[in-house]
Amino acid sequence: MDHRQQVRQFVLKNFLFTDDANALADGDSLIGTGIVDSTGILELIGFLEETHGIRIAPEEMVPANFDSIDAISAFLARRLGA
Amino acid sequence: MIALADRVAAIALAEPQRIALVQGAQRIDYGSFVDAARRFAGCLHAAGCRPGDRVALIVPNRIEAAIAWYGAWIAGAAVVPLNAQARARDFAPWLRHAGARVLVHEAAGRDAIAAAAECDPPPLRVVLDEASAGSGDAIGWAQALSAAPLESEPLDPSALAAILYTSGTTGAPKGVMLSQANFAANVEAIVAYLALTGEDSIVSILPFYYSYGASVLHTHLAVGARLVIEPNLVFPHLIVETLARERASGFSGVPSTYALLLDRVPLADYDLGALRYLTQAGGAMAPALAARLRAALPGTALYVMYGQTEATARLTYLPPDRLDDKPGSAGVAIPGVRIAIRDEAGRDLPPGADGEVWAQGPGVMSGYWNDPEASAAVLQDGWLRTGDLGRLDEDGFLFLAGRRSDMIKTGAHRVHPLDVEEAIAELAEVAEVAVVGIDDATLGQAIKAVIVPAAGAAPDADRVKAHCRARLAAYKIPKQVEFVAALPKTASGKIRRALLIEPAAAQEAS
Repeated sequence: MDHRQQVRQFVLKNFLFTDDANALADGDSLIGTGIVDSTGILELIGFLEETHGIRIAPEEMVPANFDSIDAISAFLARRLGA
Repeated sequence: MIALADRVAAIALAEPQRIALVQGAQRIDYGSFVDAARRFAGCLHAAGCRPGDRVALIVPNRIEAAIAWYGAWIAGAAVVPLNAQARARDFAPWLRHAGARVLVHEAAGRDAIAAAAECDPPPLRVVLDEASAGSGDAIGWAQALSAAPLESEPLDPSALAAILYTSGTTGAPKGVMLSQANFAANVEAIVAYLALTGEDSIVSILPFYYSYGASVLHTHLAVGARLVIEPNLVFPHLIVETLARERASGFSGVPSTYALLLDRVPLADYDLGALRYLTQAGGAMAPALAARLRAALPGTALYVMYGQTEATARLTYLPPDRLDDKPGSAGVAIPGVRIAIRDEAGRDLPPGADGEVWAQGPGVMSGYWNDPEASAAVLQDGWLRTGDLGRLDEDGFLFLAGRRSDMIKTGAHRVHPLDVEEAIAELAEVAEVAVVGIDDATLGQAIKAVIVPAAGAAPDADRVKAHCRARLAAYKIPKQVEFVAALPKTASGKIRRALLIEPAAAQEAS
């Protein structure tokens, strides 16, 4: 499974409580709509750190890196050099 | 009384280049702010909106929300700021109940559009982020601001200024009616005890559609201060970076806001030397949390405050120099307000005795919109029954001891259990449901749903949460879902909620 699919499944399961892939588009805002809140962002970051064996630095914790599946995928691609 | 719109207009006239609002890279000065508000008022007038008409907003905190608010006031209309996190299920009843003539919403606001379509007649929609909207029942924001500016007429102090819907249930929306005089008086009192001036600047994450957030907006604009809007608390370090970068003198939050900042951000790493005051309302702050906050920011005054939407916002505040000798107190009545503790029959109780908190003052609402029965239940002989329990000490300091109702306070939000119960009960596989607030280290309370499945049904927690996500604001989704064979009840069949708050042996938590 590629990074995008992994993140998608995590967000669907943990924040939308569904496995219906149509519940979320890759460009949908996760923060503006309240899908990811101040608690959820820690779960999301924890998941990414654990899955990929990386540490996400405070300066990387900005909406531009986490506000959508697209943004998270792009961030991971940069961090993992994929 | 000087209406707030007139106070802001006077600042725009005297110092048009003074910065009013900041949002990200956007900065708007008082001159441009008032010009935009007058143009929006002109647009409302041209669209047939008249004094007393209701202008609803479904807008998260952004500069346009403030422009629309003041523009509606200049046009003599009442603002109905709706909780932008709610869903169409709530928006439609609120818009119908308020009889909204105009609705301002974001272009991406699908729930707002759906709710407007359910109204008869539908409100005129003003769509943010769109230059012009094609269809006949909507206009774009840029188009709205191209209208000729409307000068504000002298406002009647008793004129309806806003209807704020409080956390009720969809079936019975409760709209708090606040007058121009209510706002003017409450703002005056807050400005006085916080000693706000035009030199102040505050970072605000509190939504304008809550009375606390609205009071932060209005008090700072009334004195020519600068309000820096931050969208949310998802990245707490960004809030602190903004405080440092803007050299902000103030910050407002609820207890969970401060818990989050203390837990996640090394405050000592930032230069917060300009920070003069912190305000806290929206639920009692534990003395231990207050102590941690003061230790982390020793040069900053912490104002613990208490109030209600039904009283515009503020009723009491604890002067910062009394934090040590009155720990846990919500403080003394603000100027113009009287607080009394009364028994069930409405008789005054002596100092030290526990009872219901009653309040009187110029900020108290005139009632609930179109609901004389609910109004009469809380407004008696010129006093407001707050529904909160507490006592006054010998020095007149208020100590709160919970609420009479089952209202859940989670983060900055209030949630009526029945509202969540109604949504969950829509599922066919649910026979009975009770929703309670359980202790949560950060949020104060978290929402828990206890469900009796329908005969033969086997609902799972995710299905319940997914349904709540579609029907309710995100903060109303239960963090925990537990399935039980039966709910504990009294002999008369009333659910014994206190028993549900105890952790169960077998529970499906998530």
